[in-house]
Amino acid sequence: MKEEDVLTAKMIESGELNRWKELLRLRLTECGWRDQVRLLCRDAIKQGNLEEMTVDQLNNEVTPKARQLVPDAVKIELLTKIKTFLQENTLQESQ
Amino acid sequence: MQTKPNERSASVFVQLRFADCSSLFTLPHSHYRRGVERNTQLRIVYTTPYSVGVAARQPLLDSEMADDGCVHLKEYKSVKGFRTYRLIHAYFVSCTSAEARRRKADSCICSICNKRGPRLHICLHCIYFGCYSGHIQEHARRKQHLLALDISHGRIMCFACEDYVYDSDYENQACEIKEISNRNLGLPHQYKSWEPSLIEQELLLEHPRRKRITHDSTIGLRGLINLGNTCFMNCIVQALTHTPLLRDYFLSDRHVCQFSDRPDHCLVCEVARLFQEFYSGSQEALTLNRLLHLIWTHARHLAGYEQQDAHEFFIATLDVLHRHCTGANANGGDSNSHQCNCIIDQIFTGGLQSDVVCTSCSGVSTTIDPFWDISLDLGTTPATGDTSKVPKSLLDCLERFTRPEHLGSSAKIKCSSCQSYQESTKQLTMKKLPVVASFHLKRFEHSSRFHKKISSFISFPEHLDMTPFMSHRRNNNNNNSDSAASSGADEPYINDNRYSLFAVINHVGTLEAGHYTAYIRQHRDNWFKCDDHIITKANIKDVLNSEGYLLFYHKQFLEYE
Repeated sequence: MKEEDVLTAKMIESGELNRWKELLRLRLTECGWRDQVRLLCRDAIKQGNLEEMTVDQLNNEVTPKARQLVPDAVKIELLTKIKTFLQENTLQESQ
Repeated sequence: MQTKPNERSASVFVQLRFADCSSLFTLPHSHYRRGVERNTQLRIVYTTPYSVGVAARQPLLDSEMADDGCVHLKEYKSVKGFRTYRLIHAYFVSCTSAEARRRKADSCICSICNKRGPRLHICLHCIYFGCYSGHIQEHARRKQHLLALDISHGRIMCFACEDYVYDSDYENQACEIKEISNRNLGLPHQYKSWEPSLIEQELLLEHPRRKRITHDSTIGLRGLINLGNTCFMNCIVQALTHTPLLRDYFLSDRHVCQFSDRPDHCLVCEVARLFQEFYSGSQEALTLNRLLHLIWTHARHLAGYEQQDAHEFFIATLDVLHRHCTGANANGGDSNSHQCNCIIDQIFTGGLQSDVVCTSCSGVSTTIDPFWDISLDLGTTPATGDTSKVPKSLLDCLERFTRPEHLGSSAKIKCSSCQSYQESTKQLTMKKLPVVASFHLKRFEHSSRFHKKISSFISFPEHLDMTPFMSHRRNNNNNNSDSAASSGADEPYINDNRYSLFAVINHVGTLEAGHYTAYIRQHRDNWFKCDDHIITKANIKDVLNSEGYLLFYHKQFLEYE
C-alpha cells in the first residue's frame, strides 16, 4: 500500500496526473464522447423531474452508460502512458 | 468571443467554436440547427450543437438560481469573498506551480479514511478534507459548514441545497487559475464552448424558426457557369466555399466592410454574398461576373480573357481578400502581413523557417517568413540533377522540400561570425502550420527554352501528418549544442499536426489548351466533382487517383488562443 501512495504522490507532484487529465479531456472531446454524454444527460433530465434533479442523481444514472461509451483507443493510450510512468518510477525505487 | 450588431441589420452574429474539426465537415448534421430568418431575406446564421444550452437555459433565466449560486453561497461570498476560493484552487484544484503540486500530493487526503477519493472535497469554512462517501457530509452536518469544494472539478457543493451551485464570478476566478496552471504544465489553452450573451439569447428567442439539414441535402453545392476560360476561377471559388472555417466565418456574418463609402468595391463583401448564394439551397448555376470584375480591378495582372493559372489566381484572391479585410488601399496601401489578424491570415498563413548553416563555423542564421501555400518541385533535384530520385508522392515532395540542401560554391553567403563568404547548407521547415495547408504541385515549367507540363502521377493521401516536417524536429535533432534548456519547451505536450484533404484542383490537357476541374468535400465524407456548372457525385478513390495540381488540407484539430 505504501508504494502505491508514493507513486500517486509522484504522479501529482510531477504534474503528470494533470497532463493525463488534459489529454484525456482532449481525446474524449475529439472522438465525440463528450457530445454523446451531453445527450445522455439531456435525456436523463427530460425523463426526470427538472426541479428535483441533482448532480448526484444525474451522475448515478449516466455514469455507467458513459463509461461504456469510452472508446478502446482512448483507454489504451492513457493506460500506456500510465504504464510507462510506473515502469520508469518503480525502477528508480529499486535502485 | 464577440457579438457585433451589424449596422445593416439587427441580426445576431454568432461566433462558432469547435472542439474538434470533425464537426466542421458535418455541415448538415442532425445536431446542427440552421436558419434564423429575418424579414424576407434568408440570412443563414449558425448555431453550434452547444446552442442546446440556449434552450436549456431559458427557464433558468428568470429563476433565482441562474449564475448567482444559491442564497447560502451569496451569503458566503459577501462575507468571505474570493480569497479562500482562489487559494484552494491554486493549490489543490488546478495546481499553478510545482510547490502547489507538492502540497496537493501531501495534503489532499481524507481526514477520516486517509484515502484520496472518491470525490475528495475541501470545506470552504475551515481546513478540512473529506471524501464524498459520507465523510465530508458528516463534517458539514456536525459543524454546520454548508459549502465545500470538489477538488477534481473545482465545483462548489451546497449541503443545504443538496446540490452543486454555480456562480459566474467564482467560475471566472476558476478559469483564470486554470489558465495559469495550464501554462505552467505546458498545456494548450482551455477550450470554452460558446455561450450566448443576453442580446443573442433575446434574438434567438425572437427568431425561433429552425431548419434541419438532412444527410442527402445538396446544400453548399452550386454549379458555376464558365464565362469563357474562367474554369480556373470556378475551381478556386469551389475550394474556398468549401473551406469549413471560411464558410463558417461568412455564414455567421463576421465580416464588417471597411469600405463604407464604396461597398461594391469590396471583394470580401462579394465573397460573403457568394457564400449566401451557395448555401441558400438553390440549385441553379451561378455566374461569377461580379467577382471576376472585382478581381480584374484589384489584381490587374490577371485581367484579360485568356486562361489563367489557378494557383496564381488563388494567391491573388487571398491577397485582395486580405487587403480588403484590413481596409488597406487596393492599389498599394500599407498592408503589414506580419501583424494582421484578418480571417485570411488566421486560416491560411503559416510560417516557414529557413535555417542557413555556415559550413566552416556551423553558425546558424534563422529567418521565418509567412506563407500561404507550399509550391513543390516535381522534377529532378536541381542541385544534384539526380534523375533517379523523382518524387512519386506528396510526402516525397515534402521530404525533399524540408531536406537540408548544400548550397554550392557558386552560391556562397556572407557569414556574420566568419566575416567572409562561405559555403553553407540551407534547410526549410514549417515553423507554424496554417489551419488550411495548400500545396501547389509545380506541373508547369516556364523556363526560357520551353513550356511544358509535368503530368506524372503524384499520389497524395486523404489524411496527412505534418509532424516530420515541423521546425521543432529539426531544432531538437540538429541543434544539440544550444537547445539543452528548451528541448521540451519547443514541442508542446499535445501536438497535433494532422490534416484532412478537402479540395483538389486538377488541370486536364496541355498548357495551351487545358481545363480545370475541382473535387470538393461536402458533409463529412461526400465528395463531389465540380466541372463548371456540372456537379456530380464522386468517390474518394476518384479523388485520390486524379492528377492533382492544387491540394487543400484542413487541420483536424484546432487550438485556441
